[in-house]
Amino acid sequence: MLGFSHSSLSNLLFWATQKKWLLITIVVGFLLFLLPAPDGLSIEGYRIIIIVITALMMIITEPIPLPAVAIYILVFEVIFGINDADGIAHSFMNDAVFFIMGSLMLSVAIIKQGWDKRIALGIINLTGHKTKNIVFGFTAISALLSSFIGEHTVAALMLPIGMTLIRFTSEDKEKVRGLSAVLLFAIAYGALVGSIGTPSGGGRNVIMMSYFQDFGLSISYLEWMIKVYPLVLIQIPIISWVLINSFTPEYDHLDTAVRKLKVQVAKSPEMTGRNTVAAFIFLMVFLGWVFLSETYGLGTIALFGVFLYLVAGYVKWEDLNKNTHWGVILLFGATISLGSNIKGTGAALWLANQVVYFFGSIMDSFPFAMDAIIVIMTTTLANVLSSSATVAVLGPITLNLGDNSLHLGLVTAIASAFGYFTAVAAPACTIVYSSGLVGAKDFLKVGWKAGVISMILLVIYANTYWLIIN
Amino acid sequence: MKILIAIASKEYSGPTLRVGMQIAKALNASTTIVDVAEKASKFNAKVVGLVQERMDSWEFDRPGIDILEWAFNFLAENKYISPTLVEEGFPKNTLIEMEGNRSEVFLKGTICKDVQLILRTGDIIAELRDEVKLGKYDVTIIGGSGKRRMAHDLIQYIDSSIFIVNQFDPNQKYRILLAVDDSTGTKGAVKFGIRVAQAFNIEVDILTVSKIDKFGSGYKSAAKRAGKFMTRAGIKFENIYRVGDPAEVIKNEAGDNHIIIMGASSKNPIMKFIKGSKPLKVMEDCKCPILIVK
Repeated sequence: MLGFSHSSLSNLLFWATQKKWLLITIVVGFLLFLLPAPDGLSIEGYRIIIIVITALMMIITEPIPLPAVAIYILVFEVIFGINDADGIAHSFMNDAVFFIMGSLMLSVAIIKQGWDKRIALGIINLTGHKTKNIVFGFTAISALLSSFIGEHTVAALMLPIGMTLIRFTSEDKEKVRGLSAVLLFAIAYGALVGSIGTPSGGGRNVIMMSYFQDFGLSISYLEWMIKVYPLVLIQIPIISWVLINSFTPEYDHLDTAVRKLKVQVAKSPEMTGRNTVAAFIFLMVFLGWVFLSETYGLGTIALFGVFLYLVAGYVKWEDLNKNTHWGVILLFGATISLGSNIKGTGAALWLANQVVYFFGSIMDSFPFAMDAIIVIMTTTLANVLSSSATVAVLGPITLNLGDNSLHLGLVTAIASAFGYFTAVAAPACTIVYSSGLVGAKDFLKVGWKAGVISMILLVIYANTYWLIIN
Repeated sequence: MKILIAIASKEYSGPTLRVGMQIAKALNASTTIVDVAEKASKFNAKVVGLVQERMDSWEFDRPGIDILEWAFNFLAENKYISPTLVEEGFPKNTLIEMEGNRSEVFLKGTICKDVQLILRTGDIIAELRDEVKLGKYDVTIIGGSGKRRMAHDLIQYIDSSIFIVNQFDPNQKYRILLAVDDSTGTKGAVKFGIRVAQAFNIEVDILTVSKIDKFGSGYKSAAKRAGKFMTRAGIKFENIYRVGDPAEVIKNEAGDNHIIIMGASSKNPIMKFIKGSKPLKVMEDCKCPILIVK
């Protein structure tokens, strides 16, 4: 055909099959580009919305590497005249990007310290041998830790502990399917629950804090904790209960497994001075976040922690370089630039007006409807996209939805952590999924319950507790 | 001859591995067994890699190793690898990470020079296609999946003959159903048919199907030539002529007690993509193993 060999045609078809979502994205983008901008929206605003739609399509379907999506965003922001090259470069980097970079590197440094065996011993000493108590302990410890060190770090530290308990209970995976599910979901969901508790619990929280600043609002680390942490504490027992009632663990007690785990942990080296100093550095970082973040920024403090780990020789640059996902950092920079330009071009306000136009009557008729709409929108997007990217894109829109932007922004940031439904959205879920002991169906089976309960709880909580403390 | 056997799980890949190794033994073929594991989303790939490093310190294997170990045990039990290796057990520590998504371990074979175990991560079709290109395999052996898209992609994009071990029953006494016509693919199919029939000592039904109530000279001579090759190779065979839709007739004649062998379509890839092909239609819902020769 036209001088092409069967082999080259087959290669072309294969490429097209593999890249079908890229081709669909190009077609969608081109068609949108040909359409006129809607009334009330500037041409720049319309074009930034085209970039958002096409970039989201590519982030969700992954037809090209993530850094390529980031470069696409930056290049087209300049080509479409959203801002000049310097303006786009400026919008790309802020403290939130520093924080994401710093927290990813801190995560590598912490995981490399091998604290998982100490944590294992701590959990078992606290919870005892009863399966129900261990599930509650896993959920609680994952939640409490992830509030401070990030959900993916916690999931990485906790997964080997959970899997060791499962292996020591039975080598036959089929005989411990319920136990595997309940323990691994306790880790993943616990980490998600806790990640909302403090600004440093996840990049999404810091992105929202940077948007608050753009809107002339401010919330300190402690104020965030006072507003949000009670929700973490309420969710821990509820999520544990949901897990225990969704999967039936095959064993009520894990006596043998706990005993074997203690023996294994006892064989590991004692806590050394090096471990103590490493923990002390992290404590310093945490205190810096609590007391100094308003002056120095969360990102700078996180990077200072990385600096200390490097200077002390507790982590090698080669390890940081190998295990830090630079492409994701680039992409978060690009999505933050998108968010900034959605606001700058007036697209955020226009989109917010559309939401109000469509849902106005519901909002007038039902109290809390605005929160419910934000929660549904954010949770949906967070389950197919990354939670940080969700906040980066939706944040400027939801902050424009009403007068109480702080309330709306916090609801958005919290709802973006409800990535319970799929294995791909939240890093903690992907990590436990990578064990091969839980499947995509398990996520759906329990995810909808955990998701719906958390969504309802958030709407009630935001409209009761926040009113009381205000 | 080089054979690639694709396995996916202990639960479903038993027949594929058994049949694949029987064919490898019969044809004295150099054999590679590959498992393609699921890859983490690009967002979380690094952190999942870091977690797997951490799992090593707790003596956990990464996903996919257990399947290779199961394949190793199968090879050991059936004496397909050298007794020294069997005594030493599965050599996890010799699994070498190659570029990209590929790790491999070499085992000294008994039926051929070596048996290679490969672990890949990613999309199954893309990884198999890459492996076939890399190893220049003659046949890829894989279990039936029941997914139309998968069947289509295997035929369309894997650059080797494809043997789908579909609904294989070890207690069944199979015959070969060799579908012939005037296409260029028939010659290769006949050659393969003879090798398989000789290796397993089974009889062959040579099937010629015409859409109209008349068999053209091309069809007749193809059937005659196939018969001549069978006679020369000392294989018992029977010539069958049928009229009807070729894909339907082949499926009906095959039933569940034949191994279908047919040539790949010689249509250009774009036409096959749009309109499908005879082998694809047969493969989609036949109830027996099928070998499509490229």
